[in-house]
Amino acid sequence: MDQQLIISIGREFGSGGHEVAELLARRFDIPLYDNNLLHEIATHKNVNVNNLKKYDERPRNFLFSRSVQGYSNSPEENIARIQFDYLRRKADDGESFVIVGRCAEEILSGYGCMVSVFILGDLPKKLERVSQKYGVTPSEARGMLLLNDKKRKVYHNYYCKGKWGDSRNYELSINSSRIGVEKTADLIAAYISEKYGREL
Amino acid sequence: MTTQILAVVIFVLMFLLIMTEKIERHIVTLLCGLATVTVVFGICMHSAKAVIATLNLRGIFTTAFWYAPGASEEASVGINWATIIFIAGMMIMVEGMAKAGFFRWLCITLAKAVRYKTIPLFIAFMLMSAVLAMFIDSITVILFLAAVTVELAGMLRFDPVPMIMSEIFCANLGGSATMCGDPPNIIVGTSLGYSFADFITHTGVIAGLSMIFVVLYFFLCFRKQLTSPVDDKAAPEAFPSPSEAITDKRGFIVSSGIFIIAIVLLVTHAMTGLTVAFIGLFIAAITLIAAGRDALKLLKKLDYKTLLFFIGLFVVVGGLEQTGILELAADFIGRVSGGNIYLMVAIIVWVSGIASAFVDNIPFAATMIPIIRSLATIPGVNLEVLAWSLSMGTDVGGSATPIGASANVVGTSVAAKAGHPIGWGRYCRYMFPATVIVMVISMLFIWFQYI
Repeated sequence: MDQQLIISIGREFGSGGHEVAELLARRFDIPLYDNNLLHEIATHKNVNVNNLKKYDERPRNFLFSRSVQGYSNSPEENIARIQFDYLRRKADDGESFVIVGRCAEEILSGYGCMVSVFILGDLPKKLERVSQKYGVTPSEARGMLLLNDKKRKVYHNYYCKGKWGDSRNYELSINSSRIGVEKTADLIAAYISEKYGREL
Repeated sequence: MTTQILAVVIFVLMFLLIMTEKIERHIVTLLCGLATVTVVFGICMHSAKAVIATLNLRGIFTTAFWYAPGASEEASVGINWATIIFIAGMMIMVEGMAKAGFFRWLCITLAKAVRYKTIPLFIAFMLMSAVLAMFIDSITVILFLAAVTVELAGMLRFDPVPMIMSEIFCANLGGSATMCGDPPNIIVGTSLGYSFADFITHTGVIAGLSMIFVVLYFFLCFRKQLTSPVDDKAAPEAFPSPSEAITDKRGFIVSSGIFIIAIVLLVTHAMTGLTVAFIGLFIAAITLIAAGRDALKLLKKLDYKTLLFFIGLFVVVGGLEQTGILELAADFIGRVSGGNIYLMVAIIVWVSGIASAFVDNIPFAATMIPIIRSLATIPGVNLEVLAWSLSMGTDVGGSATPIGASANVVGTSVAAKAGHPIGWGRYCRYMFPATVIVMVISMLFIWFQYI
């Protein structure tokens, strides 16, 4: 692949954003990074990935954390910043990839090769997807949905100036419930092709 | 009454804003200080005298501020300029040392001296952490020590977390041993007129005694965790060489010399009559002169935010002092303890320790000083005894939690960035008991030695 391409996917829980990211990675034949980014970091640092995973994409606990001269005791914040640095390094090295979450639309906003997308969904469709995927009742699914979206929002809004899910921060905001996951991926791919003149 | 309530509201607001970290802490203290001057001193008290006393600028232009032969330094109220000048001077000196590679050189030299053996390294780094923190701020000590520990842990295949936690604890304990080791001690010393020798012969002895127990405690806790399950250590030639750590040979020699001069001046300042303000200014001046063209770079790296934080803080605490709130707090402690000095020492050690485990110990110590000064007016209560209790409580209590002291935050952050996050559970499991051990030793020592 000659031209560098970074696709950042923000998503609501249950919106199928991750599946959209997988489809795009396959379509453009580029790697997909989500929590597997931590596996790579752990291998690079020669540490146990499970020690890092429990703090991944979790908001900093304000009551139990403090910062001193740019250093923070919060494991959540440190793990987040390790990932941000790692992503920046990959982008600097000219690597193309799809990244799910991790505030990428703002962390990598300086890179002209990035397309940022936010995938949202209608509540009934999201509940249906979560119930099926995790084998839970609709009321449990609703609880999971609220909790995960809240976590993502707090996590995102701590590190970024732009608010999570605010369409002004993304190039595209698409409701995947309206046209389905595959067509959503098609739409994004078509946008990228139009923008960069890239062959699909 | 309204004036007192307003002073307390500003003080509490300052604490809360510092804790939330929404606004940088120096801006918080400066704004709260401004509110104290305008609202409390100006609108409520109509007292220019209170403003002048709190700004405390007149003192700087007296000879006694710089040179006080034959006597302890004059006790001060309001903005403690001696503390600010001293800290600024030490910051510049430390910046010069770090730039030349002094700290990394020292860490690697020590590691080489113990032949890169994990347990001797563990003990040597604890001792070095404590000794360095006696003269240098604990943030710098931990920043370098933790970084080298992570590096060596990767080569020697051990978990760096136990070693970093032990280093953090020893840095805080070492800081309690001297007047310049920890900001609360500098504030206590300059506010109450104690010398370096006063600290080393009192808190220094307590810290030294505690150190024996602490090293033993951490050794028993971590000896198994530090043993590598597999023997795949790096080859000896792969270890970093001390000489490689030195980035500027001339700068290294000069900054080492300046460091030795600083130690000599501090140790002898009660005899020479040179105040800590003078020492701070002198050390800064010779570091900058020696830096030549790089002087401006060193000055730019000066952590002016911390200095502004101190200025604002002293004004806010001055507001509490001028409105008599701190006397009320002292009366309360006096009544609770019934004038019993044993109980008073216990209250100061444990309240300071518990508070410092959760909130910044610098504003806490600054607030407590007028309180202990007031308590010392009770017959049979010795100010010195309360000062050592306050120092040990605030310096050691901060070790109990990951947010209690700056060194803890920096150390846990360095570990996490290297892929070894330290949560509250793991941290407190080992550090909380160690803190309790030292606080019990401190309280018992003060009880039996001074009362």
